This record gives sequence, C-alpha cells and structure tokens, in this order.
Amino acid sequence: MSGIIAGYLPLFDLYLIHVGLAFSQYIVLRAGVFSLATAAFAGIGAYTAGIFAVNLGLHPAIGLLAGTLTGMGAAIFLSIPLARLRGVYQAIATVAFIQICLSLNVYSESLTGGAMGLNNIPKTVGTGTLFVFAALATYMIWAIERGRLGRAFNAIRQDEAVAASLGISITRHQMLAFAISGALAGLFGGLEAYHAYALDPNQFGFHLLITILSYVILGGRNTVLGPLVGCAILIILPELARPLAENRMVIYGVMLIVVINYVPKGIVDTALDAIRARRLKMREETVS
Amino acid sequence: MLAQQLLNGLVVSGVYALFSLGFTLVFGIQRILNLAHGAIFMTGAMVAFYTVKGGGPLWLGFILAILASGALSVLVEIVCFRRLRKTGDEEFGGIISSIGAGLVITTIAQQVSSTQVLRFPFETFPVVIFKFWGLRVSMLQLFMAGAAIILVLILGYYVYRTAFGRRIRAVTDNEHAAMLMGINPNFVYSQTYFLAGALAGAAGVLVGLAFNSITFLMGEPYLMFAFAIIILGGLGSIPGALLASLVFGMVQTLTIAYLPSGLTDTIIFASLFLILLVRPHGILGKEDAGNLRGRR
Repeated sequence: MSGIIAGYLPLFDLYLIHVGLAFSQYIVLRAGVFSLATAAFAGIGAYTAGIFAVNLGLHPAIGLLAGTLTGMGAAIFLSIPLARLRGVYQAIATVAFIQICLSLNVYSESLTGGAMGLNNIPKTVGTGTLFVFAALATYMIWAIERGRLGRAFNAIRQDEAVAASLGISITRHQMLAFAISGALAGLFGGLEAYHAYALDPNQFGFHLLITILSYVILGGRNTVLGPLVGCAILIILPELARPLAENRMVIYGVMLIVVINYVPKGIVDTALDAIRARRLKMREETVS
Repeated sequence: MLAQQLLNGLVVSGVYALFSLGFTLVFGIQRILNLAHGAIFMTGAMVAFYTVKGGGPLWLGFILAILASGALSVLVEIVCFRRLRKTGDEEFGGIISSIGAGLVITTIAQQVSSTQVLRFPFETFPVVIFKFWGLRVSMLQLFMAGAAIILVLILGYYVYRTAFGRRIRAVTDNEHAAMLMGINPNFVYSQTYFLAGALAGAAGVLVGLAFNSITFLMGEPYLMFAFAIIILGGLGSIPGALLASLVFGMVQTLTIAYLPSGLTDTIIFASLFLILLVRPHGILGKEDAGNLRGRR
C-alpha cells in the first residue's frame, strides 16, 4: 500500500508546486489583467533561490524569501508599463518579458549556468513543506476572494469605468494583483529549485506558460476551487491514460479549444453556477 | 561587409513580411491574435519537404505547401474562432483557443517527423552564387526576395484593387454595416484566413530552403518576431507590417553581425517593450490601441 503511495508522491509534489503557480496566474486574470508572465516570475524566483543556495550557501529559508521578493519586485516593476496597456497588448508585452528573461538567463552564464542550467542545488524541500506552502497560498487566495480586495478585482474585471467611478483605483489594484502574482510565482519557483536539484532555463518558457494557463482555463477563473481542480485533472489525466501520456500536449490543446468554446467559464465555475441555479429554482418552488 | 549585411537583411525581411502580413491581416479583420500562425508556417515547410521527399519537384511542393497551409488556416478559423465570435469573448478566448490549435498541430508534426530535423536532399535548390560589386548573392536568396515581392504585390493588389479586397476592408471597418450591405462576413473571414495561411506557408518553405532545417518547433521564434513586427507596424496595418518587417529584418541582421550574439533576442524584445510603452499603436497603426472594444 505504502509502495503505491510512494510511487505517486512525485506526482503529488508536482501538483503542489503547480497549484501555487496556477494561483499566481489566477490572481492576475481575476483582476482583469491579461498577463502571462507567471512563467518568467517563477524562473526569476527559482534562479534567485538556486543561486543563493549554490553560490552563497545560504539557508533555504533565506533563499525562498529572496526568491519571493525578487519575483514580487519583478512583477511590480513590470506592472508600471503594463498599466498603460490593455488586452492583447498586455499579453504580447508579458510574452516579450518572458523572452527577455530567457535570453538574459542564457546570456549571463557565469551567474545562472547559461544553457547548461543551474545544477547541484541541495534538496531541502520535501512534500511536507510543499504542502504547507500550497495550503497557505490557497488560504491567502481564498481570503482575498472573500474580502474587499476580491470584490474590487471583480468590479475591475467586469467594467473598468464602473470600478473607477466607485472609487477603486485601477492602477493600484492591478499593481497589487501583479505583486501577489509575482510573489506566489517567485515562492513556488524557489520551492521548485530546492525540490528538483537542478534548473534548466527552458523550463520557464512558453511550455510552462501554456501548462499553467491550461489549469486556470480548465478549472475556472472565478473561484479558488478552479485552479485546484483544473491542476488536479491535467496532472492526473495523462497518468491514468498511460498510452495518452505521449500525446499530453494534444490533450492540452484539444482541451483548451473545447473548454474555451463550450465551457468558457471553466468546469468548476459552470458546475457551481448550475448548482446555484438549481437551488434557486428549488427555493422558488417551495415558496410557491 | 556592411553592404553585404544589408543585402542579407533585405532577404530576411521578405520572409518576415510574408509571415507577419497574414498575422496582421487576421488581427485587423477579427481582432484575434492567431497564435497558431507559427504552426501553420511550419506546416508549409513540412508539406514541401514531404513532397520533395516523395519524389515531386520543388515547385509542386511549393504550391502544395501554400494550398495546405491556407486550408489549415481556414480550418483553424472555423474550429477555434467561429463560435467564440458569437459569444463576443474573442479577445481573450481567441488567444487561448489558438494556443490550443498550435499545440495540436505542432504535436502532430512532431509525431510525423519523429522529432527529427528534416533536411531537403542536396541540390533540391541549385546552389549558384552570383558576385557583383564585391557582394555575394546566391540564387536562393534571389528566389526568396523575388517570391516575397511577388506574393506581397499579389496580396496588395487583392486587398486594395479588387471587389474582394473592398469586402475585406469593409468588414474590417465595421462588420455590422458590411452585413447590411449584403456581405457574408463568414465567407470573407474564410478567404482572409486562407490568404494569411498561404502567405505563412510560403514563408515556411522559403525558410526551410534557406536554413535547410525543418523542425516541428520552427514556427515559434517567427511567431515571437512577428509579435514585435506587427506591434512596431501597428496591429492590423498592412503597410505598417511591411515597413516594420523591413526595419526588423535589417536590425536583426545587423545586431547579429555586430553585437554579442547572445543578446540579439534581449535587444529585440526589449525594444518591443519600449515601442509598446512609447507608441502602443505602432508606426502606422490607428490610435485606438488598447481600446479594442466598442468596434461593433
């Protein structure tokens, strides 16, 4: 029995790290920012944490803190120019940012190991630590959603003009969303660094962007449950159907097309809406 | 040396123009960023390669590549975007949907090519080198430049001089008003996507011939460069995309030749960032950048 669990432990670790990254993507989309920069922030956090451990030999806690802070710093820095752009333009700018990070990473070989990657990072993070951080991140996102901030994000996403007329500063809130996104991505990037022994520059490119985006699109963009469920499905699915594992990217691709066309809110949100509608109907029936 | 680099830059610009014209055409008419465009470009190169490998002549491969990538582009439009346009969520949804389409196409290509780098057989295109005024030009380069110029001229004639082009421009301006004038927008969209895909496919064959290496991921860098080009030229602007391709091809060739090689991408994308900041609507774009809603 324990053998089976141990066999699936790496999968669970992957899930915990990717849940954190999915929340990083989720929070910006929720605030109405079409940023795809999570992969870059994760890369920045991971490399900072990795370099702190390998080159400076510091305690992992300091490395994680540094990863979180640099991720957040990069996000705040990026949010200033992005405040002037909307929609497609934001998406393009953030993709350009990912490309800049990738090529700078390969170029500064003495610091980051260049194309060879950063190796021999001491493994100091286990499943327990990952679980604690993933739980904390989930709680934080849940708390934001329940509070004033979540409602402000909703207002901005639905109509910026209305939000502004209600006294919600769009620039400040979107910067805040970016800061949270960057901090989460930096933190979980750092955890990835201390969990995986080695980092590869291409790990934080277009591929990661698509993977993370798929979690959020599939699950849903309006509830905490969305990224949790989307991430679980997309990580477990290729494992359940081993012959399909080779075609993982086809599954992702077809899933993206089908979900955005037919269940545009994501499966969790659509299901929750259906449940709510049914409850409302039942209540009406009992009243009448 | 400088003249030679400028000449090389000119040839590269032609390929970029073919690729980004289709990209910007689609964005102009539908406000959709078709991220599957790189995969369609790659399909063109693959079709040409397999035609030549199957014993067909290169010109046949070229034509088949154009037709196949045009058809694939139409298919992407019908499967990925048609339904989204009705719900009015095409700006966000279109990006997601086309990422999905790109993934499917590239993964299929990966399986077809067994993740290998495909190379045209030796002398598929005759290696002839002309020398004049101290410059070296290969026959292939002349062919690339010639093909690019002819295709761009055909596109220009089509869009600005024919009834079909008027319909495209009408739908671009206002889909609803065009419909009232008896234009079927879906038909116009299909034709536009075919044109865009065909141009990308042609660019794919030219790039495949020039570097003689065709992989399932070859579209990705071109898609990234096309971002920079169409932002520089102004999203949706055809003359803008042409001008920007020229500037971009030159700048890229010169930075590769004269600056540390690892930094080319950084410089290109950092300048894209700067353009977005200073002039989001590009050199020749309209001033409504960032305010894409309210067109209908």
